[in-house]
Amino acid sequence: MKPHEIVVISGKGGTGKTTLTSLLVASFGKTVICDADVDAPDLEILLKPEPLGEKPFWGMQTAKVDPSLCAGCSACVRACRFDAITMAEGKAVVNTSFCEGCDVCRRVCPESAISLLDTRQGTSYEGLTDFGPMWHAKLNPGGENSGKLVQFLRESALRTAREKGIPLILTDGPPGIACPAISAMTGADLAIVVTEPSGAAFHDVDRLSQVTARFGIPTAFVINKADLAPRMTEKLKEEAKAGNWKIIGEIPFKRAVVDAVAETRIPVLELEEEIKLIRKELDVFL
Amino acid sequence: MSPLTIAVASGKGGTGKSSVSASLAVSVPDILAVDADVEEPNLGVLLGAEPLESALISLKVPAIDRRLCTRCGECVSACKFGALTMFGETPPKVNDLCHGCGLCTMVCPTGAISEIDRPIGEIRHCKTIKGELYEGRLHVGKPNPVPVIEGLIKTVQGINVPKVIDCAPGNACPMVAGVRYADAVLLVTEPTPFGAADLDLALQAVTNLGKPVGVLVNRSDLAAADIDGLAAKYGAPVLARLPFSRKIAAAYAEGTPPALADSLWAMELGKIWDFFESTLNR
Repeated sequence: MKPHEIVVISGKGGTGKTTLTSLLVASFGKTVICDADVDAPDLEILLKPEPLGEKPFWGMQTAKVDPSLCAGCSACVRACRFDAITMAEGKAVVNTSFCEGCDVCRRVCPESAISLLDTRQGTSYEGLTDFGPMWHAKLNPGGENSGKLVQFLRESALRTAREKGIPLILTDGPPGIACPAISAMTGADLAIVVTEPSGAAFHDVDRLSQVTARFGIPTAFVINKADLAPRMTEKLKEEAKAGNWKIIGEIPFKRAVVDAVAETRIPVLELEEEIKLIRKELDVFL
Repeated sequence: MSPLTIAVASGKGGTGKSSVSASLAVSVPDILAVDADVEEPNLGVLLGAEPLESALISLKVPAIDRRLCTRCGECVSACKFGALTMFGETPPKVNDLCHGCGLCTMVCPTGAISEIDRPIGEIRHCKTIKGELYEGRLHVGKPNPVPVIEGLIKTVQGINVPKVIDCAPGNACPMVAGVRYADAVLLVTEPTPFGAADLDLALQAVTNLGKPVGVLVNRSDLAAADIDGLAAKYGAPVLARLPFSRKIAAAYAEGTPPALADSLWAMELGKIWDFFESTLNR
Protein backbone atom coordinates (compact mmCIF):
# COMPACT_ATOMS: atom_id res chain seq x y z
CA MET A 1 0.00 0.00 0.00
CA LYS A 2 1.23 3.47 -0.85
CA PRO A 3 1.97 5.47 2.30
CA HIS A 4 -0.21 8.54 2.86
CA GLU A 5 1.50 11.88 2.49
CA ILE A 6 0.37 15.06 4.21
CA VAL A 7 2.09 18.29 3.18
CA VAL A 8 1.92 21.46 5.27
CA ILE A 9 1.97 24.65 3.19
CA SER A 10 0.93 28.28 3.67
CA GLY A 11 1.34 30.63 0.72
CA LYS A 12 2.46 33.43 3.03
CA GLY A 13 5.59 32.69 5.04
CA GLY A 14 5.85 32.67 8.81
CA THR A 15 2.33 31.50 9.58
CA GLY A 16 3.56 28.48 11.56
CA LYS A 17 4.13 25.61 9.09
CA THR A 18 7.19 24.21 10.83
CA THR A 19 5.73 24.40 14.34
CA LEU A 20 2.50 22.70 13.21
CA THR A 21 4.45 20.02 11.32
CA SER A 22 6.51 19.24 14.43
CA LEU A 23 3.33 18.96 16.49
CA LEU A 24 1.73 16.59 14.00
CA VAL A 25 4.91 14.50 13.91
CA ALA A 26 4.86 14.21 17.70
CA SER A 27 1.14 13.46 17.70
CA PHE A 28 1.37 10.64 15.14
CA GLY A 29 4.47 9.32 16.88
CA LYS A 30 5.74 7.22 13.99
CA THR A 31 6.11 8.81 10.55
CA VAL A 32 8.63 9.53 7.84
CA ILE A 33 9.45 13.24 7.97
CA CYS A 34 10.43 15.42 5.04
CA ASP A 35 11.50 19.08 5.24
CA ALA A 36 10.80 20.44 1.77
CA ASP A 37 11.59 24.06 2.63
CA VAL A 38 15.12 23.66 1.32
CA ASP A 39 16.18 27.29 1.17
CA ALA A 40 15.12 28.02 4.76
CA PRO A 41 15.02 24.60 6.47
CA ASP A 42 14.09 24.82 10.14
CA LEU A 43 12.32 21.59 11.08
CA GLU A 44 15.59 19.96 12.15
CA ILE A 45 15.91 22.60 14.87
CA LEU A 46 12.89 21.09 16.64
CA LEU A 47 13.26 17.42 15.63
CA LYS A 48 17.05 17.17 16.11
CA PRO A 49 17.69 14.24 13.78
CA GLU A 50 20.69 12.06 14.42
CA PRO A 51 22.62 12.22 11.10
CA LEU A 52 22.74 9.00 9.08
CA GLY A 53 24.26 10.33 5.88
CA GLU A 54 24.54 13.23 3.47
CA LYS A 55 24.84 13.68 -0.26
CA PRO A 56 25.84 16.61 -2.44
CA PHE A 57 23.00 17.99 -4.56
CA TRP A 58 24.04 18.79 -8.11
CA GLY A 59 21.55 21.18 -9.65
CA MET A 60 21.79 22.83 -13.04
CA GLN A 61 25.22 23.17 -14.56
CA THR A 62 26.70 26.66 -14.87
CA ALA A 63 28.88 28.16 -17.60
CA LYS A 64 32.57 28.88 -17.21
CA VAL A 65 34.77 30.90 -19.56
CA ASP A 66 38.37 29.89 -20.16
CA PRO A 67 40.07 33.33 -20.24
CA SER A 68 43.04 31.99 -22.22
CA LEU A 69 40.68 31.10 -25.09
CA CYS A 70 38.24 34.05 -24.83
CA ALA A 71 38.80 36.52 -27.71
CA GLY A 72 36.55 39.15 -26.11
CA CYS A 73 33.95 39.21 -28.92
CA SER A 74 30.99 39.52 -26.49
CA ALA A 75 28.81 37.14 -28.53
CA CYS A 76 27.93 35.31 -25.31
CA VAL A 77 27.04 38.53 -23.49
CA ARG A 78 24.57 39.44 -26.26
CA ALA A 79 23.09 35.94 -26.45
CA CYS A 80 22.54 35.43 -22.70
CA ARG A 81 18.92 36.14 -21.79
CA PHE A 82 19.65 36.16 -18.06
CA ASP A 83 22.23 39.01 -17.99
CA ALA A 84 24.63 36.55 -16.38
CA ILE A 85 27.74 37.42 -18.43
CA THR A 86 29.69 40.65 -18.35
CA MET A 87 32.99 41.76 -19.87
CA ALA A 88 35.91 42.50 -17.54
CA GLU A 89 39.28 43.55 -18.92
CA GLY A 90 38.34 42.32 -22.38
CA LYS A 91 37.24 38.85 -21.23
CA ALA A 92 33.80 37.39 -20.64
CA VAL A 93 32.98 36.54 -17.01
CA VAL A 94 29.99 34.47 -15.87
CA ASN A 95 28.18 35.43 -12.70
CA THR A 96 27.07 32.00 -11.47
CA SER A 97 24.38 33.53 -9.22
CA PHE A 98 22.40 34.36 -12.34
CA CYS A 99 23.54 31.67 -14.80
CA GLU A 100 20.68 29.23 -15.49
CA GLY A 101 22.87 26.72 -17.32
CA CYS A 102 20.89 26.97 -20.57
CA ASP A 103 23.95 26.30 -22.79
CA VAL A 104 23.32 29.19 -25.21
CA CYS A 105 26.66 30.91 -24.51
CA ARG A 106 28.68 27.74 -25.05
CA ARG A 107 27.03 27.20 -28.42
CA VAL A 108 27.50 30.78 -29.67
CA CYS A 109 31.15 31.09 -28.61
CA PRO A 110 33.29 31.05 -31.80
CA GLU A 111 36.45 30.18 -29.80
CA SER A 112 34.95 27.24 -27.88
CA ALA A 113 36.08 29.04 -24.73
CA ILE A 114 33.00 28.16 -22.70
CA SER A 115 32.15 24.91 -20.96
CA LEU A 116 29.32 23.90 -18.66
CA LEU A 117 30.38 22.57 -15.29
CA ASP A 118 28.46 20.60 -12.71
CA THR A 119 27.69 22.91 -9.83
CA ARG A 120 26.96 21.83 -6.31
CA GLN A 121 23.77 23.62 -5.31
CA GLY A 122 23.33 22.16 -1.86
CA THR A 123 23.35 19.08 0.36
CA SER A 124 20.67 16.53 1.24
CA TYR A 125 20.60 14.72 4.57
CA GLU A 126 19.11 11.53 5.92
CA GLY A 127 18.57 11.38 9.67
CA LEU A 128 16.73 9.60 12.43
CA THR A 129 14.47 11.41 14.90
CA ASP A 130 12.59 10.15 17.96
CA PHE A 131 9.54 9.90 15.70
CA GLY A 132 11.01 8.23 12.63
CA PRO A 133 13.37 8.73 9.68
CA MET A 134 13.81 12.25 8.33
CA TRP A 135 14.90 13.63 4.96
CA HIS A 136 16.00 17.24 4.75
CA ALA A 137 18.39 19.45 2.80
CA LYS A 138 20.16 22.77 2.56
CA LEU A 139 20.21 24.66 -0.69
CA ASN A 140 23.30 26.85 -1.02
CA PRO A 141 22.30 30.45 -0.25
CA GLY A 142 21.18 32.09 -3.47
CA GLY A 143 21.02 28.71 -5.21
CA GLU A 144 18.81 27.58 -8.08
CA ASN A 145 16.61 24.62 -8.62
CA SER A 146 14.98 24.05 -5.30
CA GLY A 147 12.12 22.25 -7.08
CA LYS A 148 14.44 19.44 -8.12
CA LEU A 149 15.86 19.12 -4.62
CA VAL A 150 12.34 19.02 -3.16
CA GLN A 151 11.42 16.27 -5.60
CA PHE A 152 14.50 14.28 -4.56
CA LEU A 153 13.60 14.58 -0.86
CA ARG A 154 10.01 13.49 -1.41
CA GLU A 155 11.06 10.51 -3.51
CA SER A 156 13.57 9.53 -0.82
CA ALA A 157 10.96 9.85 1.93
CA LEU A 158 8.53 7.69 -0.05
CA ARG A 159 11.19 5.02 -0.58
CA THR A 160 12.06 5.01 3.13
CA ALA A 161 8.38 4.77 4.10
CA ARG A 162 7.93 1.77 1.80
CA GLU A 163 11.12 0.04 2.95
CA LYS A 164 10.29 0.46 6.61
CA GLY A 165 6.56 -0.12 6.27
CA ILE A 166 5.68 3.29 7.75
CA PRO A 167 2.20 4.30 6.51
CA LEU A 168 2.53 8.10 6.81
CA ILE A 169 4.83 10.83 5.48
CA LEU A 170 4.63 14.36 6.91
CA THR A 171 6.16 17.04 4.69
CA ASP A 172 6.95 20.58 5.84
CA GLY A 173 6.53 22.65 2.68
CA PRO A 174 7.98 25.97 1.51
CA PRO A 175 6.08 29.26 1.35
CA GLY A 176 4.90 30.64 -1.98
CA ILE A 177 3.02 29.09 -4.87
CA ALA A 178 5.68 28.46 -7.53
CA CYS A 179 8.31 25.84 -8.34
CA PRO A 180 9.31 24.49 -4.89
CA ALA A 181 5.75 24.72 -3.50
CA ILE A 182 4.33 22.94 -6.54
CA SER A 183 7.08 20.29 -6.27
CA ALA A 184 6.22 19.81 -2.59
CA MET A 185 2.48 19.31 -3.10
CA THR A 186 1.89 17.48 -6.37
CA GLY A 187 0.60 13.99 -5.72
CA ALA A 188 0.21 14.49 -1.94
CA ASP A 189 -2.92 13.00 -0.36
CA LEU A 190 -3.70 16.10 1.66
CA ALA A 191 -2.42 19.66 1.87
CA ILE A 192 -2.83 21.43 5.21
CA VAL A 193 -2.72 25.18 4.70
CA VAL A 194 -1.61 27.10 7.79
CA THR A 195 -2.93 30.61 7.69
CA GLU A 196 -3.43 33.54 10.04
CA PRO A 197 -6.19 36.13 10.35
CA SER A 198 -4.82 39.03 8.32
CA GLY A 199 -5.71 40.71 5.07
CA ALA A 200 -2.33 39.71 3.65
CA ALA A 201 -2.78 36.04 4.59
CA PHE A 202 -6.32 35.97 3.05
CA HIS A 203 -4.93 37.25 -0.17
CA ASP A 204 -2.24 34.56 -0.18
CA VAL A 205 -4.56 31.71 0.80
CA ASP A 206 -6.85 32.60 -2.06
CA ARG A 207 -4.02 32.20 -4.58
CA LEU A 208 -2.68 29.07 -2.91
CA SER A 209 -6.06 27.34 -2.95
CA GLN A 210 -6.29 28.00 -6.69
CA VAL A 211 -3.01 26.09 -7.02
CA THR A 212 -4.10 23.12 -4.85
CA ALA A 213 -7.38 23.01 -6.81
CA ARG A 214 -5.52 23.07 -10.12
CA PHE A 215 -3.35 20.13 -9.05
CA GLY A 216 -6.35 18.29 -7.57
CA ILE A 217 -5.02 18.10 -4.00
CA PRO A 218 -7.55 17.79 -1.17
CA THR A 219 -6.98 20.80 1.08
CA ALA A 220 -7.70 21.58 4.73
CA PHE A 221 -7.04 24.77 6.69
CA VAL A 222 -5.67 25.59 10.13
CA ILE A 223 -6.00 29.16 11.45
CA ASN A 224 -2.98 30.02 13.55
CA LYS A 225 -2.83 32.99 15.95
CA ALA A 226 -6.62 33.04 15.59
CA ASP A 227 -7.17 35.29 18.62
CA LEU A 228 -4.80 38.06 17.45
CA ALA A 229 -7.51 39.46 15.18
CA PRO A 230 -10.89 37.89 16.07
CA ARG A 231 -12.81 39.95 13.51
CA MET A 232 -10.54 38.73 10.70
CA THR A 233 -10.82 35.15 11.98
CA GLU A 234 -14.62 35.38 11.68
CA LYS A 235 -14.27 36.82 8.20
CA LEU A 236 -11.91 34.01 7.24
CA LYS A 237 -14.44 31.45 8.46
CA GLU A 238 -17.21 33.09 6.41
CA GLU A 239 -15.02 33.02 3.30
CA ALA A 240 -14.14 29.42 4.02
CA LYS A 241 -17.82 28.53 4.11
CA ALA A 242 -18.46 30.34 0.83
CA GLY A 243 -15.41 28.82 -0.84
CA ASN A 244 -16.02 25.32 0.54
CA TRP A 245 -12.70 25.32 2.37
CA LYS A 246 -12.51 22.89 5.23
CA ILE A 247 -11.15 24.39 8.47
CA ILE A 248 -9.82 21.61 10.70
CA GLY A 249 -8.47 23.64 13.58
CA GLU A 250 -7.71 26.93 15.27
CA ILE A 251 -4.62 27.75 17.30
CA PRO A 252 -4.42 30.80 19.58
CA PHE A 253 -1.32 32.95 19.97
CA LYS A 254 0.42 31.78 23.14
CA ARG A 255 3.59 33.24 24.52
CA ALA A 256 4.38 29.78 25.95
CA VAL A 257 4.47 28.34 22.40
CA VAL A 258 7.01 30.95 21.33
CA ASP A 259 9.04 30.18 24.46
CA ALA A 260 9.01 26.43 23.73
CA VAL A 261 10.21 26.99 20.16
CA ALA A 262 12.87 29.40 21.47
CA GLU A 263 14.11 26.50 23.60
CA THR A 264 14.02 24.32 20.42
CA ARG A 265 11.28 22.22 22.01
CA ILE A 266 8.09 21.03 20.27
CA PRO A 267 5.22 22.81 22.08
CA VAL A 268 3.33 19.56 22.70
CA LEU A 269 1.96 20.42 26.14
CA GLU A 270 1.23 24.04 25.27
CA LEU A 271 -1.07 23.05 22.40
CA GLU A 272 -2.27 19.63 23.54
CA GLU A 273 -6.01 20.33 23.24
CA GLU A 274 -5.77 22.11 19.88
CA ILE A 275 -3.71 19.33 18.29
CA LYS A 276 -6.05 16.65 19.68
CA LEU A 277 -8.91 18.26 17.77
CA ILE A 278 -6.88 18.55 14.56
CA ARG A 279 -5.83 14.90 14.92
CA LYS A 280 -9.44 13.84 15.20
CA GLU A 281 -10.20 15.51 11.85
CA LEU A 282 -7.11 14.00 10.23
CA ASP A 283 -7.90 10.51 11.48
CA VAL A 284 -11.31 10.73 9.78
CA PHE A 285 -9.55 11.73 6.58
CA LEU A 286 -6.91 9.01 6.76
CA MET B 1 23.58 60.21 -8.25
CA SER B 2 20.32 58.33 -8.56
CA PRO B 3 17.93 58.08 -5.60
CA LEU B 4 18.32 55.23 -3.12
CA THR B 5 16.77 51.78 -3.66
CA ILE B 6 16.51 49.49 -0.63
CA ALA B 7 15.47 45.82 -0.91
CA VAL B 8 13.72 44.29 2.10
CA ALA B 9 14.36 40.55 2.44
CA SER B 10 14.40 38.01 5.24
CA GLY B 11 15.24 34.36 4.70
CA LYS B 12 12.46 33.18 6.99
CA GLY B 13 8.96 34.18 5.91
CA GLY B 14 6.57 36.11 8.10
CA THR B 15 9.21 38.10 9.97
CA GLY B 16 7.68 41.38 8.85
CA LYS B 17 9.11 42.23 5.41
CA SER B 18 5.86 43.66 4.12
CA SER B 19 5.21 45.53 7.38
CA VAL B 20 8.66 47.14 7.07
CA SER B 21 8.25 47.87 3.35
CA ALA B 22 4.79 49.36 3.84
CA SER B 23 6.07 51.45 6.75
CA LEU B 24 8.92 52.84 4.62
CA ALA B 25 6.41 53.45 1.83
CA VAL B 26 4.31 55.69 4.09
CA SER B 27 7.29 57.41 5.81
CA VAL B 28 9.84 58.36 3.13
CA PRO B 29 8.88 61.30 0.88
CA ASP B 30 8.24 60.51 -2.81
CA ILE B 31 9.16 56.85 -2.37
CA LEU B 32 7.90 54.21 -4.80
CA ALA B 33 6.81 50.88 -3.31
CA VAL B 34 7.72 47.76 -5.32
CA ASP B 35 6.34 44.30 -4.48
CA ALA B 36 8.75 41.68 -5.81
CA ASP B 37 7.20 38.80 -3.86
CA VAL B 38 5.37 37.88 -7.05
CA GLU B 39 4.09 34.52 -5.80
CA GLU B 40 2.24 36.17 -2.94
CA PRO B 41 2.21 39.95 -3.57
CA ASN B 42 0.42 41.36 -0.55
CA LEU B 43 2.14 44.71 0.03
CA GLY B 44 -0.86 46.25 -1.75
CA VAL B 45 -3.14 44.91 0.99
CA LEU B 46 -1.26 47.02 3.55
CA LEU B 47 -1.10 50.06 1.28
CA GLY B 48 -4.74 50.07 0.17
CA ALA B 49 -3.69 49.65 -3.44
CA GLU B 50 -6.05 50.45 -6.30
CA PRO B 51 -4.87 49.31 -9.73
CA LEU B 52 -4.37 52.03 -12.32
CA GLU B 53 -3.00 49.92 -15.17
CA SER B 54 -1.58 46.50 -15.81
CA ALA B 55 0.89 45.00 -18.27
CA LEU B 56 1.51 41.34 -19.03
CA ILE B 57 4.93 39.80 -18.49
CA SER B 58 5.72 37.19 -21.08
CA LEU B 59 8.38 34.63 -21.67
CA LYS B 60 9.68 34.01 -25.19
CA VAL B 61 8.78 30.39 -25.79
CA PRO B 62 9.24 28.30 -28.94
CA ALA B 63 6.53 27.98 -31.55
CA ILE B 64 7.18 25.07 -33.88
CA ASP B 65 6.10 25.18 -37.53
CA ARG B 66 4.82 21.67 -38.17
CA ARG B 67 5.42 22.01 -41.93
CA LEU B 68 9.15 22.59 -41.38
CA CYS B 69 9.72 20.31 -38.37
CA THR B 70 11.30 16.99 -39.33
CA ARG B 71 10.98 15.63 -35.75
CA CYS B 72 14.75 15.17 -35.62
CA GLY B 73 14.71 15.73 -31.84
CA GLU B 74 17.66 18.18 -31.79
CA CYS B 75 15.71 20.75 -29.75
CA VAL B 76 14.41 18.13 -27.32
CA SER B 77 17.87 16.82 -26.51
CA ALA B 78 19.47 20.29 -26.40
CA CYS B 79 16.99 21.78 -23.92
CA LYS B 80 18.48 21.77 -20.42
CA PHE B 81 15.15 22.29 -18.69
CA GLY B 82 13.16 19.35 -20.05
CA ALA B 83 10.77 21.90 -21.51
CA LEU B 84 10.28 20.12 -24.84
CA THR B 85 8.80 16.65 -25.17
CA MET B 86 8.00 14.63 -28.26
CA PHE B 87 5.79 11.57 -28.59
CA GLY B 88 4.67 9.78 -31.71
CA GLU B 89 4.28 11.61 -34.99
CA THR B 90 3.62 15.17 -33.81
CA PRO B 91 6.25 17.93 -33.45
CA PRO B 92 7.65 18.59 -29.93
CA LYS B 93 5.40 20.26 -27.38
CA VAL B 94 6.48 23.02 -24.97
CA ASN B 95 5.64 22.74 -21.28
CA ASP B 96 5.76 25.19 -18.33
CA LEU B 97 9.41 24.37 -17.57
CA CYS B 98 10.58 26.61 -20.44
CA HIS B 99 12.94 29.35 -19.22
CA GLY B 100 12.85 31.26 -22.52
CA CYS B 101 16.58 30.96 -23.18
CA GLY B 102 16.24 30.70 -26.97
CA LEU B 103 18.50 27.65 -27.38
CA CYS B 104 15.96 25.51 -29.28
CA THR B 105 15.49 28.24 -31.88
CA MET B 106 19.25 28.29 -32.30
CA VAL B 107 19.77 24.54 -32.74
CA CYS B 108 16.84 23.70 -35.05
CA PRO B 109 18.45 22.64 -38.37
CA THR B 110 15.40 23.50 -40.48
CA GLY B 111 14.49 26.86 -38.95
CA ALA B 112 11.16 25.46 -37.82
CA ILE B 113 11.22 27.21 -34.46
CA SER B 114 10.30 30.82 -33.92
CA GLU B 115 9.46 32.50 -30.63
CA ILE B 116 6.17 33.74 -29.32
CA ASP B 117 5.27 35.55 -26.12
CA ARG B 118 3.61 33.40 -23.47
CA PRO B 119 2.20 35.42 -20.55
CA ILE B 120 3.32 34.12 -17.15
CA GLY B 121 2.40 37.07 -14.97
CA GLU B 122 1.57 40.74 -14.86
CA ILE B 123 2.82 44.01 -13.48
CA ARG B 124 0.26 46.23 -11.84
CA HIS B 125 0.76 49.93 -11.35
CA CYS B 126 -1.38 51.03 -8.41
CA LYS B 127 -2.33 54.12 -6.48
CA THR B 128 -1.96 53.68 -2.71
CA ILE B 129 -2.94 55.56 0.44
CA LYS B 130 0.34 57.43 0.16
CA GLY B 131 1.88 57.30 -3.27
CA GLU B 132 2.29 54.58 -5.82
CA LEU B 133 3.04 50.87 -5.99
CA TYR B 134 4.28 48.55 -8.70
CA GLU B 135 3.62 44.91 -8.01
CA GLY B 136 4.49 41.75 -9.92
CA ARG B 137 1.96 38.90 -9.91
CA LEU B 138 2.91 35.46 -11.12
CA HIS B 139 -0.02 33.74 -12.79
CA VAL B 140 -1.36 31.02 -10.51
CA GLY B 141 0.04 27.60 -11.44
CA LYS B 142 3.14 28.90 -13.24
CA PRO B 143 6.37 27.52 -11.76
CA ASN B 144 8.96 30.23 -12.46
CA PRO B 145 8.63 33.62 -10.73
CA VAL B 146 12.06 34.98 -11.71
CA PRO B 147 11.16 36.47 -15.13
CA VAL B 148 8.22 38.31 -13.55
CA ILE B 149 10.53 39.74 -10.87
CA GLU B 150 13.07 40.76 -13.51
CA GLY B 151 10.38 42.37 -15.67
CA LEU B 152 9.14 44.29 -12.64
CA ILE B 153 12.61 45.51 -11.67
CA LYS B 154 13.33 46.62 -15.26
CA THR B 155 10.07 48.56 -15.30
CA VAL B 156 10.79 50.47 -12.10
CA GLN B 157 14.47 51.08 -12.86
CA GLY B 158 13.39 53.74 -15.32
CA ILE B 159 11.54 55.71 -12.65
CA ASN B 160 13.90 58.19 -10.98
CA VAL B 161 12.63 58.21 -7.38
CA PRO B 162 13.66 56.44 -4.14
CA LYS B 163 12.33 52.88 -3.96
CA VAL B 164 11.65 50.13 -1.47
CA ILE B 165 11.51 46.60 -2.90
CA ASP B 166 9.62 43.99 -0.87
CA CYS B 167 11.27 40.65 -1.77
CA ALA B 168 10.21 37.01 -1.73
CA PRO B 169 10.92 34.95 1.41
CA GLY B 170 13.64 32.30 1.35
CA ASN B 171 17.23 32.38 0.15
CA ALA B 172 16.90 31.05 -3.40
CA CYS B 173 16.69 32.60 -6.85
CA PRO B 174 13.48 34.67 -6.31
CA MET B 175 15.04 36.47 -3.35
CA VAL B 176 18.28 37.04 -5.28
CA ALA B 177 16.34 38.45 -8.27
CA GLY B 178 14.60 40.94 -5.96
CA VAL B 179 17.77 42.27 -4.32
CA ARG B 180 19.98 42.13 -7.43
CA TYR B 181 19.67 45.77 -8.51
CA ALA B 182 19.13 47.36 -5.10
CA ASP B 183 21.75 49.68 -3.56
CA ALA B 184 21.47 47.96 -0.18
CA VAL B 185 19.49 45.24 1.56
CA LEU B 186 17.58 45.39 4.84
CA LEU B 187 17.13 41.91 6.32
CA VAL B 188 14.18 41.55 8.68
CA THR B 189 14.46 38.79 11.25
CA GLU B 190 13.13 37.70 14.63
CA PRO B 191 15.27 36.45 17.54
CA THR B 192 13.95 32.86 17.42
CA PRO B 193 16.08 29.84 16.44
CA PHE B 194 14.23 29.73 13.08
CA GLY B 195 14.80 33.44 12.48
CA ALA B 196 18.51 33.13 13.30
CA ALA B 197 19.08 30.02 11.16
CA ASP B 198 17.45 31.63 8.13
CA LEU B 199 19.13 34.99 8.71
CA ASP B 200 22.49 33.23 8.57
CA LEU B 201 21.63 31.88 5.10
CA ALA B 202 20.21 35.23 3.96
CA LEU B 203 23.36 37.06 5.08
CA GLN B 204 25.45 34.59 3.08
CA ALA B 205 23.28 35.04 -0.03
CA VAL B 206 23.35 38.84 0.17
CA THR B 207 27.03 39.24 1.05
CA ASN B 208 27.89 36.86 -1.83
CA LEU B 209 26.31 39.48 -4.09
CA GLY B 210 28.48 42.16 -2.48
CA LYS B 211 25.50 44.20 -1.27
CA PRO B 212 25.69 46.51 1.75
CA VAL B 213 23.33 45.01 4.32
CA GLY B 214 21.68 45.94 7.61
CA VAL B 215 19.51 43.93 9.98
CA LEU B 216 16.20 44.81 11.63
CA VAL B 217 15.15 42.62 14.57
CA ASN B 218 11.37 42.44 14.69
CA ARG B 219 9.47 41.14 17.77
CA SER B 220 12.81 41.67 19.52
CA ASP B 221 11.44 40.75 22.95
CA LEU B 222 9.84 37.42 21.95
CA ALA B 223 12.99 35.32 22.23
CA ALA B 224 16.71 35.71 22.73
CA ALA B 225 18.65 34.14 19.84
CA ASP B 226 22.00 35.88 19.34
CA ILE B 227 21.21 38.03 16.31
CA ASP B 228 23.92 40.59 17.17
CA GLY B 229 26.67 37.97 17.13
CA LEU B 230 25.42 36.54 13.86
CA ALA B 231 25.16 39.95 12.18
CA ALA B 232 28.64 40.89 13.44
CA LYS B 233 30.06 37.75 11.79
CA TYR B 234 29.09 39.27 8.43
CA GLY B 235 29.92 42.85 9.41
CA ALA B 236 26.22 43.76 9.16
CA PRO B 237 24.95 46.45 11.55
CA VAL B 238 21.79 45.79 13.59
CA LEU B 239 19.85 48.95 12.74
CA ALA B 240 16.73 48.60 14.87
CA ARG B 241 14.92 46.43 17.39
CA LEU B 242 11.14 46.57 17.43
CA PRO B 243 9.26 44.76 20.22
CA PHE B 244 6.20 42.57 19.74
CA SER B 245 2.94 44.41 20.27
CA ARG B 246 -0.62 43.17 20.03
CA LYS B 247 -1.59 46.63 18.80
CA ILE B 248 0.78 46.31 15.81
CA ALA B 249 -0.36 42.74 15.12
CA ALA B 250 -4.01 43.85 15.14
CA ALA B 251 -3.27 46.85 12.89
CA TYR B 252 -1.39 44.60 10.46
CA ALA B 253 -4.25 42.11 10.43
CA GLU B 254 -6.66 44.85 9.41
CA GLY B 255 -4.30 46.09 6.71
CA THR B 256 -2.64 49.12 8.36
CA PRO B 257 1.13 49.68 7.98
CA PRO B 258 2.71 49.57 11.47
CA ALA B 259 4.32 53.01 10.97
CA LEU B 260 0.80 54.52 10.90
CA ALA B 261 -0.22 52.65 14.07
CA ASP B 262 2.90 53.16 16.16
CA SER B 263 5.26 56.15 16.25
CA LEU B 264 8.21 53.96 17.26
CA TRP B 265 8.01 52.16 13.92
CA ALA B 266 7.80 55.45 11.99
CA MET B 267 10.80 56.83 13.88
CA GLU B 268 13.01 53.73 13.63
CA LEU B 269 12.34 53.22 9.92
CA GLY B 270 13.03 56.88 9.24
CA LYS B 271 16.39 56.41 10.96
CA ILE B 272 17.17 53.31 8.92
CA TRP B 273 16.47 55.15 5.67
CA ASP B 274 18.71 58.05 6.78
CA PHE B 275 21.44 55.57 7.73
CA PHE B 276 21.49 54.01 4.26
CA GLU B 277 21.29 57.43 2.57
CA SER B 278 24.27 58.76 4.48
CA THR B 279 26.44 55.61 4.34
CA LEU B 280 25.82 55.30 0.60
CA ASN B 281 26.30 59.06 0.03
CA ARG B 282 22.89 59.76 -1.46
